[in-house]
Amino acid sequence: MSYALQTLWHEKARYASGVLAVAFSAVLIALQCGLLLGLFKITSIPIDNTRADVWVGATAVPSVDLGKPIPGGYLSRVDGRPGVVSVEPYIASFANFTKPTGGTELCYVLGSLLDDNTAGAAGVLSREQREALAMPFAVVVDESDLGRLALDKDADGVPKINGKRVHLVGTVKGLKSLAAPWVFCSLHTARQLLGPMLPPDHVTYLLARCDSPARAREAVAELREQYGSDMVAYTAEEFSFQSRWYWLTRTKAGLAIGYAAFLGLLVGLVITAQTLYSATAASAKEFAILLALGIPRWRISLMVLAQSFWVGVIGIGFALPVCLGLRALGAQFAIDVDLRWEVLAGTAVITVGMALVAGTLALRSVRQIEPMSLLR
Amino acid sequence: MPAASLRGIDLVKTYGDGTARRAALRDVNIDLFPGQLVLLMGPSGSGKSTLLAVLSGLLEPDSGRVLADDDGQLRDVWQLSPKEREEYRRRNTGFIFQGYNLFPALTARQQLEIVLKWGSGVGSGTARRRADEMLDRLGLEPNKHKKPAQLSGGEKQRVAIGRALAKDPGFLFADEPTSALDWENGRKVIELLRDAAHERGASILVVSHDHRILPFVDVHYHLEDGRLERRPLPA
Repeated sequence: MSYALQTLWHEKARYASGVLAVAFSAVLIALQCGLLLGLFKITSIPIDNTRADVWVGATAVPSVDLGKPIPGGYLSRVDGRPGVVSVEPYIASFANFTKPTGGTELCYVLGSLLDDNTAGAAGVLSREQREALAMPFAVVVDESDLGRLALDKDADGVPKINGKRVHLVGTVKGLKSLAAPWVFCSLHTARQLLGPMLPPDHVTYLLARCDSPARAREAVAELREQYGSDMVAYTAEEFSFQSRWYWLTRTKAGLAIGYAAFLGLLVGLVITAQTLYSATAASAKEFAILLALGIPRWRISLMVLAQSFWVGVIGIGFALPVCLGLRALGAQFAIDVDLRWEVLAGTAVITVGMALVAGTLALRSVRQIEPMSLLR
Repeated sequence: MPAASLRGIDLVKTYGDGTARRAALRDVNIDLFPGQLVLLMGPSGSGKSTLLAVLSGLLEPDSGRVLADDDGQLRDVWQLSPKEREEYRRRNTGFIFQGYNLFPALTARQQLEIVLKWGSGVGSGTARRRADEMLDRLGLEPNKHKKPAQLSGGEKQRVAIGRALAKDPGFLFADEPTSALDWENGRKVIELLRDAAHERGASILVVSHDHRILPFVDVHYHLEDGRLERRPLPA
């Protein structure tokens, strides 16, 4: 065991506040990021709940809900490529929803083919629902949006989208919305509802299924190279990430969360630095004799930095089970805390880095140590 | 008689300014020889610790020179750069203080290892072997895995002596090494220091108030009001 770690273990009580400060910062950062990612997963629901491997859309489309019409004829650019199993059109656009109780709400219409094995139909739609959606103007929404769209009340009025009457034929679970409720329907219904907003023979996306993820990446690379000037191609994973990232940065939510996490980090930094400073000052006489014996000051500084590193690592060790526990608690209340490995690894790097900065700040106590202090 | 291994020449050191000015050392001259245990006594505030600090390269005098044998060459310690002086101390000096100043978290063996590894740059295996040899010689073999809290005052001071001697220094400076110990342990400590001087050829300077150690030393100096005087040893 290193001398630094041994000292930490021996003087647990002295270093406890530093370890707790690191753990506090780590929990705060991981949970803030996890909550944010969980929240912004909503923005990529249309991608994550379909079976498409490749998404093709208008150039520079930043997020799935901001697609623009592209000619349906582009389908031939994708179809028949090696590894591409099928290609189909997909319509996605904002629309105006008139509630049966009066008043309007922005909604997002998602129109797809509904046959078995199609790429675009949301995976949670049952066969019965897909069959029901084949009827003109039939729609399905998430049950969490029923109240928002006033579809859970008996009312004299009828629900309409862009002024056209629609029929609710079912609800799904787990496809919550953020800004505008998702409205699932057939390709035909979507075209009717959007009317002049979607030029004839145009679609919003082309969805392709491929026989392997590697083939999907190859197809995307080829399409970008050949047609990059008038359309864009993404793998589903890329487009999902891009959609979340766009809204994360666009809404400044990331900035707000980052600011809160920064404050947590600052508190952790100050407490950890103070803990290490006091601990080093308490060992000043032991370090002073090493200096008297000619041991260079940088060796002592290195030991303090090693201690700060271990304070960081132990703090992370405490934070991890707390984060996982809070994620489980959140799940009980339908709060999605997305603690993917990148979040946990990033948190670990940031907080251990913070502990090292705290150690560097504590080095001023090493600079103050003088061997002469040992002589009375 | 061999040549002096450490010479303090015309050393002057004052503290304070104006009327508060106080001379700690007034033209002090002192020679330390290899293999000698030298005792420096004097009343409190007489400048004993100041002289020890000046001779050991910890405190710069106002004037005067400190010539020390460094690998067979006499060098003026206070003409060296701070980095050179640090290296000089690393190669040549050991220290023992009244407070043992041992790391509470480390075992007796590790207290010595840390100096050997960080000071002499030896590998872990060699540091361990040399630490064990030193602890055996000091009668601390059964205690090498104990931490300071598990050791008596005498044992702690012996570990501190082991730490000071571990790198085999040419000079050893001890400031009140027995004052926190009962006489039985104090005697053991001074005997160990005498043996270190006689067997290893080190020059050892002990600052102390304790008259009981006089029979064990080779040379006795008395410092009072900044003036040094050599005194005869008891018959």
